Amino acid sequence: MHYFDNAATTKPYAEAMHTFNKVNEEYYFNTASIHKAGRDSAKLLEASRKQILQVFGLPHYQCVFTSGATESNNIALQGMLRRKKRFGRTILVSELEHPSVINILDHHQKEGFKVKFIRTTEAGRVDVDHLKSLLDEDVILVTVMAVNNIIGSVQPVEEIREALTDYPKVHFHVDATQAVGKVRFNYDGVDSVSISAHKFHGVKGAGALMLKEIKAAEPIHYGGGHEFDIRSGTVNLPAVTAMAKALRLSVEGMSNDKERLKDFNRMIREEMEALRSITIQPSGVPHIINLSFTGAKGEVVVNALSEKNVMVSTTSACASKRATSNETLTAMGVDKEVIDGSIRISMSKDTTHRDVKMLIRSLKEVYEEIGDVLK
Amino acid sequence: MKYDHILIRYGEMTLKSRNRKMFVSALRKRLNRALDGMDVHIKTTRDRGYIDLLDADAYQVIEKLKHISGILSVSPVVKIEKSEEAMKETALQFAEDFGTGRTFKIEVKRSDKTFHLETFDIQDMLGGHVLKNTDHLSVNVRKPDHTITAEVRQDAVYMYHDTVQCLGGLPLGTGGKGLLMLSGGIDSPVAGLDVMRKGVEIEAVHFHSPPYTSPEATEKVKKLVDIMSERTGYDIKLHIVPFTELQTTLYDRIPDNLSMTSTRRVMLKIAEKLAGATGAEAVINGENLGQVASQTLTSMHAINEVTNMPVLRPLLTLEKNEIVNMAKQFGTYETSILPYEDCCTIFKPKSPKTKPSLEKVRKFEERVDFGPLIEKALSGIETYTQNSEEAEEFGELL
Repeated sequence: MHYFDNAATTKPYAEAMHTFNKVNEEYYFNTASIHKAGRDSAKLLEASRKQILQVFGLPHYQCVFTSGATESNNIALQGMLRRKKRFGRTILVSELEHPSVINILDHHQKEGFKVKFIRTTEAGRVDVDHLKSLLDEDVILVTVMAVNNIIGSVQPVEEIREALTDYPKVHFHVDATQAVGKVRFNYDGVDSVSISAHKFHGVKGAGALMLKEIKAAEPIHYGGGHEFDIRSGTVNLPAVTAMAKALRLSVEGMSNDKERLKDFNRMIREEMEALRSITIQPSGVPHIINLSFTGAKGEVVVNALSEKNVMVSTTSACASKRATSNETLTAMGVDKEVIDGSIRISMSKDTTHRDVKMLIRSLKEVYEEIGDVLK
Repeated sequence: MKYDHILIRYGEMTLKSRNRKMFVSALRKRLNRALDGMDVHIKTTRDRGYIDLLDADAYQVIEKLKHISGILSVSPVVKIEKSEEAMKETALQFAEDFGTGRTFKIEVKRSDKTFHLETFDIQDMLGGHVLKNTDHLSVNVRKPDHTITAEVRQDAVYMYHDTVQCLGGLPLGTGGKGLLMLSGGIDSPVAGLDVMRKGVEIEAVHFHSPPYTSPEATEKVKKLVDIMSERTGYDIKLHIVPFTELQTTLYDRIPDNLSMTSTRRVMLKIAEKLAGATGAEAVINGENLGQVASQTLTSMHAINEVTNMPVLRPLLTLEKNEIVNMAKQFGTYETSILPYEDCCTIFKPKSPKTKPSLEKVRKFEERVDFGPLIEKALSGIETYTQNSEEAEEFGELL
């Protein structure tokens, strides 16, 4: 199988799996237990927490462990909106966000919050000038993803943080899910940052919310209060420890993979760009390419490739089974036909030269097969 | 603005003359350690230091420098060649970042007296260039919103506009060593950090009385040591003294209202012996005049009587809220207020004497042979340092 859906999820590192298994065998205890076994597990939890904050260059931040970025986003945004309601009602959000952010805000709109969308440039980046023009005294939240999940565009996180320095009331949330191990940002000064382990070769079911101030967050479900009284439920220590390990390895390995992935990106572009009816969106991170078979349906291309043992996707996996159009490409002003025919190819450190050659060959075969419908 | 260097201004060590070298090299060691792993090159001279930012973010580096004692302040700077054009261009780049309607001034420090322009000419040239090429700024030399400073030195011109105040004091390792009595409360970590700011290395001692005191209380003290080590870039050793036997003996044999005084006396005796063994030349504690019964002048006199070693009390005359603010600033407060019982709170007498009679204390203590118990406690000490445990235990997992 040739796997090109790494933006949906990745294969865990062997080292992370080793950690996961070993912790399951030797530290399966409840980190909230008072006895020695529990305390030792709690120590491991704290060591993991410290390592994660250190890798992010945020040793002075707090880190709450969650089940993944969807939960992190929910805790960050819901709790924050509840706390800040009396200071203002306006929320600024990029048009590019993931459903786990958009749907929270959709829901809050019914409760009297005003959601304003920050425009997107043609390159798929948040338009910072437009953001600045939207800022006023009523704004309490700005939320932007660090790297877009559909086309891989890198967002101006640092620039936005700078633009917000004169607005201390604003909480700045960054969904960094797709950025880990791909782009090194300086997150210092951002109020909250979400990550998800399985996007950087950790195991599924673990994520984190890093907070400048712990009191910015509030629980969204209630229980024993394990994680700072913010996230209840027995902590998934094996997955969390494996996440700490995967994070360290992906950040350490970042520069090794970058050149290789850039070459792959170039290879795919060069081979495909020449073909009529093929549109390729500008790239941000080399890992992600968004490519359209104009006139065809993206889903048809995905299925055709799948039969050739090449796995790609249409849009974000979280939304790809719904028939809604692609928000990111719509926001960029891409033609509807190009959007409908778009597929996402996403690579990782595991992608090989052979994978890429097979992908290109298969793409060309599919191109021939469905040539009649292409425009 | 893209900065390429950070300028480090030294603190009190600039007052030293013949032994300055020793202070600079001590600071250098701290810098090496604090910036380990960052992509920078460090250079220290007799008067100042420079960090060459190869591929590091200026303010991320400054965040680390802020907690190193011996540094008075730092500025992110741009190093440029000694030409009029380069200076004009860079000054303009700074100015372009300033907000509309702001005022600025140019400050010049011309330590290269051979430079072909005089101080005033440089000010005039740079100020004029900025005004000519921007339309959102005006000059105010008395109370400017922004000051662009150009330092003309032998090797180059250094230009900056932001100065970040740092810790001041003296480099760690230049002031000998002290032993900090660390209870786990708010005050003692602050006392330790305050003394460290003056260049004194510390080791810490904590007394625990299991099973009366919980393991969480000890963990909390370790956490405090971690925070302090992290902040100062110095691995503080924590000596944990098993105190249960002494505690119960004191409880049984000394009258309730004097037991607190005797407990402190025994602790100080142990600290003195431990200080001798670790090379510490003073004991440090977080005592604050009049805060509790053991911290009245009479109590301090009675307790202090057991040792000749200097007992440093850096928080002696501060207000409680000042101490709390310092603890918050140092990042120890949140941990200090965790509600775990320590030995002082569990065996606390109902009404301890605020004016204990030294004579009575001596009389009761004479009836008990504490010597062997103290020796036993000393031999049972366990020593902890940050990272030592987790690195060994979890190295392979993380």
